[in-house]
Amino acid sequence: MIGGERALLSRPVGLIGQIVAILLLTLVIEFGVSTLLYERASQFSVRDDEANRLAEHLVISRRLVAERPAAERPAMAAELTTERYILRWDRTLPVPPRIAPSLDGMRDQIIAWEPALARTDLRLNLTSPGRRQVVAGALALPDGSWLHFRTVAPLAHLNLAVERVLLALVPAVALMVIGGALVRRTLQPLRELAAAADRVGRGGEERVREEGAGEVVRVIRAFNRMQARIHRLIDDRTQALAAVGHDLRTPLARLRLRADGVADAPARDAIEADIAEMEAMVGSLLAYLGGDSDPETAMRIDVAVLCATLADDAQDRGRDAEYHGPDHCELVVRPIGLKRALTNLVDNALHHADRVSVTLSPGRDEVAILVEDDGPGIPDADLAAVLEPFVRLDQARGRDTVGFGLGLPIVTRAVEAEGGRLELANRAEGGLRATVVLPTPG
Amino acid sequence: MTSPTILLVEDDPALRTLTARALQENGFVVRPAGAAPEMWQALERGPVDLVLLDIMLPGTSGIDLCRALRQKHDMPIIFVSAKGSETDRVVGLELGADDYIAKPFGTRELVARVRAVLRRGTLDRQTAREAGELAFDGWTVNIPRRELKSASGAIVELTGAEFDLLVALLDHAQRVIARERLIELSRTRLGDSSDRSVDVLISRLRRKLSSAGRDAPIVTVRGVGYMVNVPVERR
Repeated sequence: MIGGERALLSRPVGLIGQIVAILLLTLVIEFGVSTLLYERASQFSVRDDEANRLAEHLVISRRLVAERPAAERPAMAAELTTERYILRWDRTLPVPPRIAPSLDGMRDQIIAWEPALARTDLRLNLTSPGRRQVVAGALALPDGSWLHFRTVAPLAHLNLAVERVLLALVPAVALMVIGGALVRRTLQPLRELAAAADRVGRGGEERVREEGAGEVVRVIRAFNRMQARIHRLIDDRTQALAAVGHDLRTPLARLRLRADGVADAPARDAIEADIAEMEAMVGSLLAYLGGDSDPETAMRIDVAVLCATLADDAQDRGRDAEYHGPDHCELVVRPIGLKRALTNLVDNALHHADRVSVTLSPGRDEVAILVEDDGPGIPDADLAAVLEPFVRLDQARGRDTVGFGLGLPIVTRAVEAEGGRLELANRAEGGLRATVVLPTPG
Repeated sequence: MTSPTILLVEDDPALRTLTARALQENGFVVRPAGAAPEMWQALERGPVDLVLLDIMLPGTSGIDLCRALRQKHDMPIIFVSAKGSETDRVVGLELGADDYIAKPFGTRELVARVRAVLRRGTLDRQTAREAGELAFDGWTVNIPRRELKSASGAIVELTGAEFDLLVALLDHAQRVIARERLIELSRTRLGDSSDRSVDVLISRLRRKLSSAGRDAPIVTVRGVGYMVNVPVERR
């Protein structure tokens, strides 16, 4: 049984089909519930004595009104009006208001007490003049004119108004909820698709489950195929570039060894500088593509000591670098990626400036690492551009930067991998401030 | 002393020739090999003082070759790799290679690394390889990985010179080492052109090895030198 249902469900129904089905379902429920409600009102019966009193009053009134000539009938009807019932004579039967349900149960009670009324085409309706529920009705006189009547006081426990409104509201609300849920369920695969499309290019390939309406399944299937093609394309390119990068290192090694044999010292130095630049380019390209290292796992490292060591390393190379901050600050991060990112920032600063200061300030939820220099900074208009790969701002000044302009994009990637962010700003006192903000767990 | 013999395993013919020439010019005897079979043949022809092994060889991967080589022989091995990958370096060093050199390298760097590894001596290398870890005062030093871990398991990054100095101090734990001796010991690591005096390195190490209100276990012996004043356990 369930298997059969599955088979039925697994055959995707079109989007239009599903929405029509939902509409149909709500209509059927609405119809069913309304019918039930009117059925209930017509089954409504009053207390027997109340019905009996009305039946007797009607029988007598009918006879008395029918005996009079037409001209006297309205007066007679008025005379028969008591504090309980209002009577009125009319030649015709007005159309009962649409929303007045007929009270079949009460009619049966009346006729049971006075069977004579059965032949008078007795009609009973529930009407609500103002907000009071009264019973109104009419019966035919032998000559075809009509005697109209209505109760003055609302019948006891006949406050159907609230009940009716509630009864009408319950299915309406239920239908809105059910209909909304069904439409939502129909559109769920589309929402998943949108979320997946938003994530393409950030991290790994992620297939969207092929389910939902026929059209949606086709879109998801096409999306999955497109995603697979994109990832294959990226992987192929990355591998090709990484392979070129690795392979370039062998001729570079040959070149470097050959350069050692060049007797002309200035020429040798120039060649070695060229080789160093090419090496730096290959290195940064491989670092950016991730072709040089396997996916790293996060480990606990002492970031404060890492920052201090970067400054110490620069000092050992004869540069002016300082670390400020606590002696220790442990975080769980990918050590190689973060070290490369911070090294890039320090090297960048030392490239453009004479002094660099690395500051670590632990906050409540975040740790900020500031790399500040006293160099020329970056024009404010270019601050965003330098974060893009392959952008170099040195073109006007001649190419004095090593690498492909991948230094900062590598930092951004590494920092984003930790759920952090990189901010660049020019310092008021001159120079650039690069801030790496890392979240602390918990 | 006769010139040391170096077995050079490198698949790129031109680079093999160039590397061989660079080593020969610096007084080494070179036995070149293009791949694993040639390497085994070359080993049969006589004793070798050091193997320079390219890990991206065709056929057997350099890492397997290193493992096989280490099982049969005890001579020093230097890995050569075009991959600058940290993982490769660590794997190589843990498999028993004594050093790692990344392509592209220059003659000076190559010769310096070879000399440094040869100078370390068999005994030193063995203890370094076998006692891969030193533990003291909650800290752990992994020598092949060149990694220091705190009591909480966090990696504590040191500069090359600081690491060498720390290992030298730990090798002589609870004994005073003269400053001059420390300078000499920490300089065995070449390619590191640090001019910083030992005092500066010591003060940095103290800061990095301090932990929650406790001082680093390195004491100054006035007028003589320095000492690690806690026991060191070799693992």
